[in-house]
Amino acid sequence: MGIRFNQVSYDYSSFAQGLYTAIKDINLEITEKNEFIALVGHTGSGKSTLAKHMNALIFPTSGSLEIFGNIITSKRSKKIKYNSIRKKVGLVFQFPEYQLFEETVEKDIMFGPMNFKITRDEAKILAKEALNLVGLDDTYLTRNPYNLSGGEKKRVSIAGILAMDPDILVLDEPTSGLDPAGKRVLMNLFKDINEKTGKTIVIITHDMDLVYQYFNRVLVMNDSKLIYDGLPEQLFKEKDLYINHLDYPNTIKVLTYLNQKLNLNLNVYQKTNADALLEIKRAAKL
Amino acid sequence: MKNIIIGQYIPGKGLFYRLDPRTKIVSVLFIMIAVFLLQTIEQLLIALGVAIIMLLIGRISIIKVLKGLKPILVLLIFTFIFQIMLNREGVMIVNQEMQLTIFTALFLLLALIIWRILSRYIRYRFLLFLAFVASIFLILVYVDFGYPLVNSFSFKIYEQGLRMSAFVVVRLLIIITLSTVLTLTTKPTDLTQGLEKLMHPLKKIGFDSESFALIISISLRYIPTIFDEANKIMLAQASRGADFSEGKLKDKLKQVISLLVPMFIIAFMRSEELANAMESRNFVPGEKRTRIYELVFSYRDVLATTISVLILAGAIVLKVI
Repeated sequence: MGIRFNQVSYDYSSFAQGLYTAIKDINLEITEKNEFIALVGHTGSGKSTLAKHMNALIFPTSGSLEIFGNIITSKRSKKIKYNSIRKKVGLVFQFPEYQLFEETVEKDIMFGPMNFKITRDEAKILAKEALNLVGLDDTYLTRNPYNLSGGEKKRVSIAGILAMDPDILVLDEPTSGLDPAGKRVLMNLFKDINEKTGKTIVIITHDMDLVYQYFNRVLVMNDSKLIYDGLPEQLFKEKDLYINHLDYPNTIKVLTYLNQKLNLNLNVYQKTNADALLEIKRAAKL
Repeated sequence: MKNIIIGQYIPGKGLFYRLDPRTKIVSVLFIMIAVFLLQTIEQLLIALGVAIIMLLIGRISIIKVLKGLKPILVLLIFTFIFQIMLNREGVMIVNQEMQLTIFTALFLLLALIIWRILSRYIRYRFLLFLAFVASIFLILVYVDFGYPLVNSFSFKIYEQGLRMSAFVVVRLLIIITLSTVLTLTTKPTDLTQGLEKLMHPLKKIGFDSESFALIISISLRYIPTIFDEANKIMLAQASRGADFSEGKLKDKLKQVISLLVPMFIIAFMRSEELANAMESRNFVPGEKRTRIYELVFSYRDVLATTISVLILAGAIVLKVI
């Protein structure tokens, strides 16, 4: 049993503007093993709010959700150990600047595990492992996190969560602000972690290419509602995406364009650039 | 934290929204001085009535102003209680014998426990606290059996004490209501522009009012932003297992540091970005700048200023007589 949303709604309240509904009547189930989920939707559609519910950082205004057997409702319960939920579901925020604070990368990664009553030496080992897992070598351990590049900072902040060994990993736009190569490296890394350890990974992203290439389940948010939950292939075939502020992956767009302009009959549903190229070559030979 | 209303602008329409910020600042200043000049509680009560009428005329919801008073409620109550207890002038009004016996102590303990338990389940914590204080008073007065722990003492209230405490509290109330009206109905940018214009003559003695106004408006603008950032940092660290409510003092200290360091770094990043953005839009410090909306003085402002001057003059007259 992983995470189950049951009619969850959340309202932000502000003094000047009154209530603002961020998510409304969400029903959703995420299992703890082997899922690789993309969460997409236009800005302000409630993706981040949904993600914050997943490790009980915020409580639903109405409805309830179940996280590893703990029932979360709008009221804080004394019986539930919220800290232990955060150990089970790790949430990585979009901007690493919000969490890096120590003078060395090692100490910063150790902060998470150390909050769960383990010894310093154990935490050191975990930090090293997590750092290697995100593709940085041991020389980074002694460096100052604020002197790293944007991509490296991002990896260190992900390592900070990975070191806590969560069962489910939720990442808020981990690939934003990275160059294309960096994006691919990071996505391969997540896919790798997902396949090796079987951890469920939920990733918020705007990049349809990535969604199409990597994921086996996609959640689409639109105007605070969850409007699609299923395979990405199905999503790109059936739904009228432009209405929902989404876009088609580049491969589909290019092949569809070619079909229209040159009156070809290409199979547009190709996941990678290499596959698309093969399809074009195949058509050229005919 | 979110219901702190002091210094918060709420968009709306009404008489006070249409006044020039300069008028508002000057009038509020004058009326405040006038309130400090008043000497008796009767005069102050009239002033409070006038303040409430002002709220009604300006169509400002009194409930919103009362909500704004919440943060300083504790201050008000403490001043009230201290004035009552420490002022020993005039005629004695209440002289109540009090005893502290074993049973009294027991009852007090019981009241404390009941209060703590109830406060978990009842939402109106403040009313509950008042009930608790009242129960302490009643217990001290009426439970007089059993072995006395200390000599009986008496609780005295003097007329002057009561007057002074009411005086101080009402005066504070009026002052805060006035400043709330000012900040509630004036955009921070207008407020600083008003201040800038009012302090413009000080340039002759070397005071740069424009830079000063800019500093104020930037800091005001960034209060909610920084508050937002702090919230995000708190969530980010909480999802790394930081627990700000429990744990030993040493752990807590570490967790506070985990908030403060990103806070400072983000503040510096923000300020650098802002400086760059301002420079790229050709901001040159000390240069003369124009405004989209120039302040205009209308008949309403003349009227409001005249009224406030009259109030001040009246207060001075009362003081002299």
